[in-house]
Amino acid sequence: MKTKLVNLLALAAALLMIGSAVFAHHGTGVSYDQTKAFTVKATVTEFRYANPHPQLFFDVKDDKGQVVHWSGEIAPNPAQLVQEGWGRKRSEAALAAGTEVEITLAPSRLGTPVGVINKIVSAQGESILGLTPLGNAAAEGGKK
Amino acid sequence: MSSRLWTLGAILVFSSVCLAQGRGRIMAGDPANANKPYDKHDLSGTWTRNGTPGGYGGGGTCANCGDRGFSNDVPPFTPLGQKMFDANKPSYGRNLGSPEANAHPEEHIGRRRAVPPANGTDPYQTCNPEGVTRALIYPDPVEFNVLPDKIMQQFEWTYVTRTIWTDGRKLPDDPDQLRWWGYSTAHWEGDTLVVNSNGFDDRTWVDHFGYPHSTDMKLEERYHRTAYDVLELTMTITDPKVYTKPWTSQLKRFRLLPKNGIKTVDGWTGLMEDLCAPADEVESFNKRVRDPAGGVIH
Repeated sequence: MKTKLVNLLALAAALLMIGSAVFAHHGTGVSYDQTKAFTVKATVTEFRYANPHPQLFFDVKDDKGQVVHWSGEIAPNPAQLVQEGWGRKRSEAALAAGTEVEITLAPSRLGTPVGVINKIVSAQGESILGLTPLGNAAAEGGKK
Repeated sequence: MSSRLWTLGAILVFSSVCLAQGRGRIMAGDPANANKPYDKHDLSGTWTRNGTPGGYGGGGTCANCGDRGFSNDVPPFTPLGQKMFDANKPSYGRNLGSPEANAHPEEHIGRRRAVPPANGTDPYQTCNPEGVTRALIYPDPVEFNVLPDKIMQQFEWTYVTRTIWTDGRKLPDDPDQLRWWGYSTAHWEGDTLVVNSNGFDDRTWVDHFGYPHSTDMKLEERYHRTAYDVLELTMTITDPKVYTKPWTSQLKRFRLLPKNGIKTVDGWTGLMEDLCAPADEVESFNKRVRDPAGGVIH
């Protein structure tokens, strides 16, 4: 009984959190579809710590073993990341080319291999660049 | 088990607070500042409408600070105003034609017509100046530097400075050069600082939902410091070429940030240099990420 109650509360909490985020931002990502967010293993090919948004380029193996090259937008810009402890040096070291990471991203609504990155986790389990959900700001539809 | 229940209960309460914030629930400033003395005629300091702890981030605004639009109560457009409004394709708000957009007819259509930036016309996507109203609505911090003859507003996002003259001069009747940030003067009416501006370049938008204005726009801002750490702002646009009557904004409320409220990993405090620059890196981002996300492949 308690387990069911916990699960019910967890579901309610999750729904409320999602609802509040959407409402607070007064809309959803224009280019990206958060309802189709997914998580993949990826290999970093390039990271740009730059305005108006940092960008992460990476390779992912699809279901057939073919490598697909993805482009990822990171919503917080350097001015925000540096206040959250992710300065240029630390960020570039954590996302050097060749680094294996786990990425959660919301893909383009149009099916192109581009997405807004919600979360990056290192092989050691560290959350990279993120104290806040990375994708939230992009839900505004552009820079921040 | 009971601790898990308590945790989940706390999450539920927090979620409800988040929802309330979105609906503009009334909240006072920090209770710790309740008894701090302040001068109602001194607006100096760094103010923010952002709800995140550091006062930055550009996301949602803090509780009861107003939303990210000028106002949902939009006066009827003139025929020219309607034409200008229709020509603007914003990338903020609910997606054009989406179920969410159709489910909120109480929102003006300006808030329900977002398209991907790759297909939009937002001047900000090419890093053009935001202009006064949009900059004031944007939730990143703004620093007021008060000098004997003027007030300088420095906006963190775009790191731009706007000058408001308090030396008694009058606004130019018909300025030769239109300005992205207009011409501004200010005076006190009781405890309210009244700022009047004109001479605006009409390529800026009133807010990020793409509401237009003409070069004839006159803007009045009324600032009222209601507590040590609370500053309230109401704006009114008078622009008969575009709007059939004056348009008054929703109340916008700012919170005062402590001096060390914005800090880098090196411990450097003060406004960030948050620029949409350099141009080549912005162009690279647009070509490699923004545009393909919107279906435009270069």
